[in-house]
Amino acid sequence: MKQNRREMLSAVGSGLGAIGVSMLSVAGKADEKKDIAGSSASVIKSKVTGLPENWRAMRKFDVHNHVMQDVHLPDADWSKVESLVEAAQILGIEKLFCSRPITGGVMAEIADVRSVNDSVIAAMKRYPDQIFGFCFVQPGNGPAALEEIDRCLDAGMLGVKLYNQYRYTDPMVFPVAERCIERRIPFLGHSAHLTDARTLAAQPKTSDSLDFCELSLRFPELMLILGHVNGGGDWEWAIKGLRDCPNVFLDTSGSVLENDTIEMCVRELGHERILFATDMTMEGCVGKILSAELTDDQREDIFWRNLQKILDRRTA
Amino acid sequence: MIIDVNAFLGHYPFRSLKFNTADGMVSLMGRYGIDRAVVSSLNAVFYRDAHQGNAELHRETSLHPDRLIPVATVNPRYVGWQRDLEECVSRWKMKAVTLVPSHHGYSLTDEYGHAALSRIAEYDLPVVLTQRFEDRRQRHHWDIAEDLEVKTLVEVAAAHPRLKFLLSNWIGLDGGRLAEAGLRGRCLIDFSRLHVILLKDVTRLIAAMGVESIAFGSHMPFDYVGPSLVKLANLETMSSAEYEKISWQNAAAFLKLDL
Repeated sequence: MKQNRREMLSAVGSGLGAIGVSMLSVAGKADEKKDIAGSSASVIKSKVTGLPENWRAMRKFDVHNHVMQDVHLPDADWSKVESLVEAAQILGIEKLFCSRPITGGVMAEIADVRSVNDSVIAAMKRYPDQIFGFCFVQPGNGPAALEEIDRCLDAGMLGVKLYNQYRYTDPMVFPVAERCIERRIPFLGHSAHLTDARTLAAQPKTSDSLDFCELSLRFPELMLILGHVNGGGDWEWAIKGLRDCPNVFLDTSGSVLENDTIEMCVRELGHERILFATDMTMEGCVGKILSAELTDDQREDIFWRNLQKILDRRTA
Repeated sequence: MIIDVNAFLGHYPFRSLKFNTADGMVSLMGRYGIDRAVVSSLNAVFYRDAHQGNAELHRETSLHPDRLIPVATVNPRYVGWQRDLEECVSRWKMKAVTLVPSHHGYSLTDEYGHAALSRIAEYDLPVVLTQRFEDRRQRHHWDIAEDLEVKTLVEVAAAHPRLKFLLSNWIGLDGGRLAEAGLRGRCLIDFSRLHVILLKDVTRLIAAMGVESIAFGSHMPFDYVGPSLVKLANLETMSSAEYEKISWQNAAAFLKLDL
């Protein structure tokens, strides 16, 4: 049964209460603490002085996140989705753009692809103001993959997510790119320039920035997003490889939080090609943008406005 | 007050670092409201004679004694390391000792590791173990160091029951397993790669190991400081006493800092 926000947050708060941690009271705007019911409590100034005072209230759209459970099934466990929404509220992330790719190099059947997308659709229905869908497809499914894109868009999804079943220079991917152009939706791709043999052997078809460039040159109208610049792999390579391909955007997500990543993106690509994202490293990726050397306008563009411009093209 | 227990000075051979001098780091700390930082020498990791890195670290941190807390690095495969360690502890008053077994070519469980850990325990100092400096998926082809593993940590915790551990830049820590290995009360974990919200790693570790087991760490200058500040801000709903422990008191007590 669907919980309302108050019920859900209350449940979360009691779960953390054993150690005296109620995450809810930091979920209010700016540094104003609020109680579970959302009414204003006393204003307590944060002890952490190294962040902008209003950092929680800064508008943020996370273009790369995931629904990780079969929440479309009866009696589903929603706990991970609830934790995701809770974390977004605490961090002031207004919109989560989520997919559920089939990973591990699995060449999935179309029925399995539909199933994972159904879980995202279920999450979109339960959290219509917070969770927005990106449709996972496996290009090897051929025409069925294109039909799945249409089905996902009809259900309200806003983009397509590909994983590493095919390198993006593979002609198998081209019909997906063409469908994205036709429907004016962004194509978010898993990426990495992997330099260690072990990971490379496990993910031999992972695309790096040069693959994205090649796809972009072939399809200049495609709204192409290189996923998680800090998701593992040589991020300096990734950024430099995009310099000659102005139509490729890049998202800032990933578990690597290395200093100068964002500044190098801005130096080499310009800030308007950079999209905030977390890929589930939520605190880290918010903190990365907050402590990067950016102007206020650049930070705002990266946090949400650049993505909004991409989404606006859909209805232009 | 904030004490950062996961920081380094010096050069890293595979990537350009900013703020990696003492002056640079103090300026970075000022920008982010960090009062003190526990710093090890990256040069000591890569020099043949690690102690040259200790000497440099001593010189640099002596310029900022109220901000930078130096940590010794020893290579137990190098001639005279015991005398070098003695100089770090007795003369330079370093508060902990870093071991980098994979970079220096030994294991924590072999004769070299055993000798080093035993000597550190005799000094009643914590050993600092950094699980990794950077993600292996982006490594330079000369970088062959393996990440430290939890099973090794558990093994050496049992073999050295008096030794204290400062664990920096770790993930994959199971608090129950650490507690079972007898590490509760003799282990301080920096939260730089852990989640406060979403995956709630910190919550689970506190439940198993106690709030005294967690400390602020950022992995500067490799990483941005902001991520750890966001985590600290997300802990502000704890009691003030618990928050202050994580922010600085646990580090001060564990390292016996005279503040």
